[in-house]
Amino acid sequence: MNSPVPSMSTASQAKTLDPADHLAAKLRSKYRQRITGELLLPASEGDYRPLPDDLDPRLVDALRQRGIDRLYSHQAAAWRSLSEGRHTVVVTPTASGKTLCYNLPVLQAALQTQAKALYLFPTKALAQDQVAELIALNQAAELGVRAFTFDGDTPGDARKAVRTRGDIVVSNPDMLHQGILPHHTKWAQFFESLRYVVIDEMHSYRGVFGSHVANVMRRLRRICRFYGSDPLFILCSATIANPQQLATQLIGEDVEAVTESGAPQGAKQLLLWNPPVVNPDLGIRASARSQTTRITKLALAEDLKSIVFAQSRLMVEVLTKYLKECFDRDPRRPARVAAYRGGYLPSERRDMERRLRQGKLDCVVSTSALELGVDIGALDLCVLNGYPGTIAATWQRLGRAGRRRRTALGVLVASSLPLDQYIIRNPDFFLGASPEQARIDADQLLILLDHVRCAAFELPFKDGERFGGEPLSELLAYLEKHGILHRERDEWHWMSDSYPANSVSLRSVAEGNFVVVDTTGGDKRVIAEVDYSSAAMTIYEGAIYMVQSAPYQVERLDWEGRKAFVTSTRADYYTDAVDYTRLKILDTFEAHKHHRHAVAQGEVHLVKRITGYKKIRYYSHENVGYGKIELPDQEMHTSAVWWQINPEAMEQAFPARQIALDGFLGAGHAMHIVATVRMLSEPRDIGKAVGDGNARWFATVDAGGRGELRGCDEEAVDPEHLDRFTPTLFLYDNYPGGIGLSAPLCEIRDTITEEARRLLTECGCTQGCPGCIGPILASDESRGYSPKQAALQVLALLSRDES
Amino acid sequence: MSLSAKLSRLQGQAGNAAPLSPRSDSDLHQRLARIERRRPSAIRHDPDQATRDETLARALKGYPIGDGLIQISRRIPLEGSMGQFPLSLLTQPTKLPGERTQTHRRQVYFDTETSGLSGGSGTLAFLVGMACVEDDAIRVTQYMITRFAAEGAMLDAFALALNGEDRLVSYNGKSYDLPLLRTRYRMQRRSDHLQTLPHLDLLHPVRRLFSSRWPDCRLITLEQRLLGLHRHNDLPGSAAPEAWFDFLRSGNRARLIRVAEHNRQDLLSLAMAHAALTQAINQPLRHGADIVALARWLADSDKKAAYDLLKQQQRLPPGGKALLGRLAKGFAEWELAQQIWEELAQRGCRDAAEQLAKYHEHVSKDLEIAQYYCKQLPADEERQRRLDRIENKLFHRTIQPELRA
Repeated sequence: MNSPVPSMSTASQAKTLDPADHLAAKLRSKYRQRITGELLLPASEGDYRPLPDDLDPRLVDALRQRGIDRLYSHQAAAWRSLSEGRHTVVVTPTASGKTLCYNLPVLQAALQTQAKALYLFPTKALAQDQVAELIALNQAAELGVRAFTFDGDTPGDARKAVRTRGDIVVSNPDMLHQGILPHHTKWAQFFESLRYVVIDEMHSYRGVFGSHVANVMRRLRRICRFYGSDPLFILCSATIANPQQLATQLIGEDVEAVTESGAPQGAKQLLLWNPPVVNPDLGIRASARSQTTRITKLALAEDLKSIVFAQSRLMVEVLTKYLKECFDRDPRRPARVAAYRGGYLPSERRDMERRLRQGKLDCVVSTSALELGVDIGALDLCVLNGYPGTIAATWQRLGRAGRRRRTALGVLVASSLPLDQYIIRNPDFFLGASPEQARIDADQLLILLDHVRCAAFELPFKDGERFGGEPLSELLAYLEKHGILHRERDEWHWMSDSYPANSVSLRSVAEGNFVVVDTTGGDKRVIAEVDYSSAAMTIYEGAIYMVQSAPYQVERLDWEGRKAFVTSTRADYYTDAVDYTRLKILDTFEAHKHHRHAVAQGEVHLVKRITGYKKIRYYSHENVGYGKIELPDQEMHTSAVWWQINPEAMEQAFPARQIALDGFLGAGHAMHIVATVRMLSEPRDIGKAVGDGNARWFATVDAGGRGELRGCDEEAVDPEHLDRFTPTLFLYDNYPGGIGLSAPLCEIRDTITEEARRLLTECGCTQGCPGCIGPILASDESRGYSPKQAALQVLALLSRDES
Repeated sequence: MSLSAKLSRLQGQAGNAAPLSPRSDSDLHQRLARIERRRPSAIRHDPDQATRDETLARALKGYPIGDGLIQISRRIPLEGSMGQFPLSLLTQPTKLPGERTQTHRRQVYFDTETSGLSGGSGTLAFLVGMACVEDDAIRVTQYMITRFAAEGAMLDAFALALNGEDRLVSYNGKSYDLPLLRTRYRMQRRSDHLQTLPHLDLLHPVRRLFSSRWPDCRLITLEQRLLGLHRHNDLPGSAAPEAWFDFLRSGNRARLIRVAEHNRQDLLSLAMAHAALTQAINQPLRHGADIVALARWLADSDKKAAYDLLKQQQRLPPGGKALLGRLAKGFAEWELAQQIWEELAQRGCRDAAEQLAKYHEHVSKDLEIAQYYCKQLPADEERQRRLDRIENKLFHRTIQPELRA
């Protein structure tokens, strides 16, 4: 484990009076074993600039009314960049006044030239907040600028007023895609004078969603050109590694980046916290929840203001209950602890935000709902109950605690999930890592094609027009061949009695999402939606499907009708589908051959057959049963990275092929964890498989936890009987066509194997565990060799320095 | 691998339940032919295009008035009948409740056939039809385009055929045809004058009078139930988009000709429906209109007419009785009003009880009865005030004189 950063102890002693420092010191002395890493960020002074000379006097007045008579340096930089006509992205921490970066130019343009602006937020709640903020600024000096939200909740009779009278329209990308662009003629006046498009929380537009949004922006700019406008884009983002690149990809133009924050900031301390081991035999740790409550109780006892982030709504309620039992037992006194999550009424949430800002609440327990820019005032402590999944989201949440003049403390409490354990046991990686790259692939063929259809509906395409990076004429010809477009002279017209945007969801690649219908108690209620691509693995009959941590059992799956019928259950196990994934290498884009191993990246054909599922008990991860699944085979063309060991090196290293196979499966588990962390992706974005590369056989884990080979007919194959044995480990992009994950995966191929090795060596288990090579059974001593050792051996052969 | 081969492969895996193409493999030959045709040399001057348009125009008994634009004109003498009405009824002035008689404005019945039924900027009208009644005939003019490029010319022709004194009459045009046409004027970068013209959408009055009587208020239902007209061999409007696409793809005229006929029949029915509606308002029972709904509508502009209508009825549903009671009150026909209210109050009608309480308190001055009805009202502040007041008055009238005595 890592020792604390040396500068820490001196720094905390110097400021013994600061309550957050005091708490940190207490935690450190009492629970030294649980803290695996620390970080101290020193305080910084504010960097100010005078209000710009060309700022409209009415705005100067409005700002003064709200007590603002100078700008932070980044606000001034954004103003300058925009007034020089450059698209601009602003990357600054939470609560650094970034909304002013866009509100100032937008209001100025509205006041001076009646120009319009479109604000896009990823969620409706944030949109509501922004309108409230704008109205406040507007009222401060009676500017007379009208801001309206336009989303699914906007009543039909109000929509016309929004379209024709709104100076600022606040909406979301989904609404722009389905409700605004396909009806652009109704918005003609708006588009004609559209001057600014604001994209806030830009970092949330990554992966599939971001790729869609980039195409929606292509459509938006195309419509603007039709109405003779060319709006400037203002983008705001939390810290990610590549804000300028992401902004450029999203809007398809060069973007100026403003990255130096001029806002003052108090010092910050961060502790990484691993719950203590309570059962050394099985490697079971205390729950994250118990640790989170303990830390928060200490903070409340010392009158610190805290925010606790939990990963699910259920956990929010559980934590709130525990804390309230301690601190809100007297009903006559105002509550000190409150829960905040989606599902509450907007008015309740507004009320809670106000109480937080006014310091009337001491602790709020929240889901990711408070992660984005809702203003909640200054807090001393932020506890994360479980790793939020990405480094960027972790910093974003930790940023909710922070004060101008005082220290803020953040504690990341790890759960028992492999990803959490990886992060917490590799504090150097987490603390030293630059935040992840946000990747999008705006030219992913299926996504691009979807938006070419939508765009053709909005305006006929003309020969020579451009849309995205692929040759447009070929896409148009493809659509014509399918009778969707009609070519007439130099134009391509929409020729289908349908409204294409309705069938394109921005949040997935494939059409035909499944809905999950709860039939508990007789009525039918849709409780969730599942992507086509993950349906087969998650909502088979018998599966336990979790919604907000509440388990439901799938009773019936209607594959054609895209429905899964579930009932609420109290199962103490979860289910894990057993899939046989056969991959065939179609085309190699790049290959790296070394002495003992080779890594390559290219296109693969994948057939996934899901034959059954395991029931796995919570906490102990025991296997408590099996079920059969009958589903059609899933086929997919995508891209992948694969690793192979040269046959002689392998024969030398392993006495038996069975051992090598177990080694490959274990190494695959660890490499998958590392790849997921490194790529800033959800675990299901990247798939893993072991096979021979020609789809002749593939490997799977049998009931006894041992690897076994299966042929095309699913019959078990003894590896010793094969004449050629070249196990291949694949990490593949788990979306049809791929969303651009495999090339960057290949770039970090050496990091993946090195990190996986480190993960295994540093893991406290002896034979293997869910945190490193995947669950193994207690009876594994009978194997006669350690599967963890075998995995390490495979990783050694796959590593460069050994070759 | 080519982009298109990649796409076909991916499309199959992305869970598209239905294939992109709505057509079967038997069209393969035509599809291949089309792909050939779109090669640059073939598309610039399609010698077939002009011939194809002319053949279509002839089959439609119309004539080309521009590149890809066909005008079809018909003058139909007002002789004979349509369903149960003589065509000559069209010469009678129309008048709906609340309207002044329409004499100074020309009424332009209009209806469009479109390339899609779901709306949005990508849906266009490929046929715009209009009809006007002249002295002894109804003149129907239809504009149809045979290619996308002719849309602007069609919109111009339609705009030119209208003048500032016209009044548009449509069926569901306020929410469908008109917004769609306005979108198209915008897309073709033309100013649209349609919005300045007054517009009567007959769907709304028809719904008012018949929604409680008919299963739905589609034009086809109106034809059967009000006009007594049954179409034979009609191509349903929903088949229009495919008929036009089919012509664009393969020059297949047959269904497109039927779309033009369908549109013409819609226009005639629309004009007739307008005239028949005037009849139904004058003789609601005969035409099966909802008397109470009609009375409510009349009452907005002419309470006397509504009152007379309801008073004539032998039997009325409770809603009609309540309206009659209110109207009777307005005309101070107290006897009738009281009779209706008592009947309704007996069935537990709260409003009638309140009316009776008011009537007996203020008009008949029979305070004990007023008190009786007031006590039947649900307990709330208003009832309490009223009850206190009535009891106060009772006290002054009965007990006080006794005290004085």
